[in-house]
Amino acid sequence: MAPQKTATKPQTSAPASPVESLWKAYSDNTSKRLKFIDSFLVFLMLSGIVQFLYCILVTNFPFNAFLAGFSSCVGQFVLTASLRSQVNPENKETFKEVSPERAFADFVVGSIVLHFFVFNFLG
Amino acid sequence: MLSLYLILAAFVGLLQAKSSTGDSILVILDNKLNRSDYSLFFDGLEGQGYSLTFRAPGDTTPAIKEHDTPNFDHVIVFAPHTKSFSPDVTPQSLVSSLGKGTNLLLALSQKQNLVNSLASEFSLILPPPQTPLVSHFPAREEPATVIPITPQPNVIVDPDLPPIWFSGIPVAPGNNPLLFPILRAPAESFASDATVDSGADSVLEAADRGGEGLWAGSSSSLITGFQTRNGARATWVGGVELFSDDFAKKHTLGGKKSGNAQLSKDVAAWTFQENLVLRIDSVSHHKLGGSETPEVYTTNDQIVYIAHISKYDPATSSWVPYSGISDLQLEFTMLDPHVRTSLSPVPDTPGEYSVTFRAPDRHGVFKFVIDYRRKGWSTLQSSTTVPVVPPRHDGYPRFLSAAWPYYTGAISTSIGFLLFSLLWLAGGEDKAKTKKE
Repeated sequence: MAPQKTATKPQTSAPASPVESLWKAYSDNTSKRLKFIDSFLVFLMLSGIVQFLYCILVTNFPFNAFLAGFSSCVGQFVLTASLRSQVNPENKETFKEVSPERAFADFVVGSIVLHFFVFNFLG
Repeated sequence: MLSLYLILAAFVGLLQAKSSTGDSILVILDNKLNRSDYSLFFDGLEGQGYSLTFRAPGDTTPAIKEHDTPNFDHVIVFAPHTKSFSPDVTPQSLVSSLGKGTNLLLALSQKQNLVNSLASEFSLILPPPQTPLVSHFPAREEPATVIPITPQPNVIVDPDLPPIWFSGIPVAPGNNPLLFPILRAPAESFASDATVDSGADSVLEAADRGGEGLWAGSSSSLITGFQTRNGARATWVGGVELFSDDFAKKHTLGGKKSGNAQLSKDVAAWTFQENLVLRIDSVSHHKLGGSETPEVYTTNDQIVYIAHISKYDPATSSWVPYSGISDLQLEFTMLDPHVRTSLSPVPDTPGEYSVTFRAPDRHGVFKFVIDYRRKGWSTLQSSTTVPVVPPRHDGYPRFLSAAWPYYTGAISTSIGFLLFSLLWLAGGEDKAKTKKE
């Protein structure tokens, strides 16, 4: 279990704006693992947005390729988000039977199945 | 020795210049006409290797055809004064012989007779009886009905041909596309009663009343060719005197010899299918890059179409490859021509015509069509049916450049997943460490 980081709230300097304070709270209160997951999620989200814009603005012509590329992003995002919620120590009570290792194994199996379908559908 | 043989062979070939369809001619000659008056023409034909059989219009043998088979390859009817022919010479028998490939050379009469009534079946509009062509220009000693004509050159009439003498009737060619005026009347000539010019009024009235042709000026035709769909040829000549020795020996107004002998030879050569006879030897087609003819083509295939065309050479009595057609066209049709392109001669291969084109983006049963019709030339027709099918399910291009963002997206997700898993597993130790700490 990842040890919950004790929130050390710096009172010395007042935050300039709500966004900044939110960012600060996030970076201070989140463990490295979750930040790592979050960065992967951001990458997937950006990739999905790019493909969706390309589909709208340029062409959706090989529509199966669009579906495959876009759904791989969405599917991977969902699987990764599930992993995040399962390994988050704050949700320990909800997932009593699911250990982080078990959650990661589920994530890997689900992803492999997802990518199998994606690459079949791509060409 | 060999060259001597070659020269001999060429000489014999020159003597025996023959038609592409055969060399037997039946001449139906009027009782009032003497063969000796047309000896230059007839002897010239015999000298070329034709065998001539003479027969009076009233004779019953030899018949034009027996048991529905023509007895002769060509028929000449020079019978302008004959009123009644023997029962086997009818418009129907002449037309059916023409349909079986017999060529006809016919002289029109100033009176109504069989040849004239046959001519109107071929869209030739004849003037009223007894109205020959008359011209008062240029001033000359001959009567107004004996007219010197400077021929307009065409595919049959040689550009160097001297002026010729003509005496006979003009015809107004109808709008039948198979008709081909070989010699047109001079601009200042007209059809009229021969004795008094006032007779021209009656001709004008007849033209007005009937709404038919106007037999005046260069719109009327003196020698008219007709080529049937099966390639047989029929020629109507306004007056039989054109072929006579008198006109052939008669000097023109300039004092030179007339061109009648040459023109009558050329007209006979065209009519008896010596000249301007083409045929398609073979056609083939295949995909660009292959050499075998496929059973089906796929849409957008590059197709190569090749045709071999020969022309009959009367000097050697043989077919020789001919590359001289510059306006041949190929059509790729399914009801309408989807592709119409020029089929041009291949520079180094005589007689070969080739074109490469892209099959239309349309599937169905298509035909390669060659349909070459030019005035005076024999018709070239060819039609080959091929199916054009859409690509098979695996015949389409699989990876398209337009989809590269999607491919990149999917591949980067997979690579991201692999990296994430590796780093996660690698970070597990850190986690363990932090746990211990």
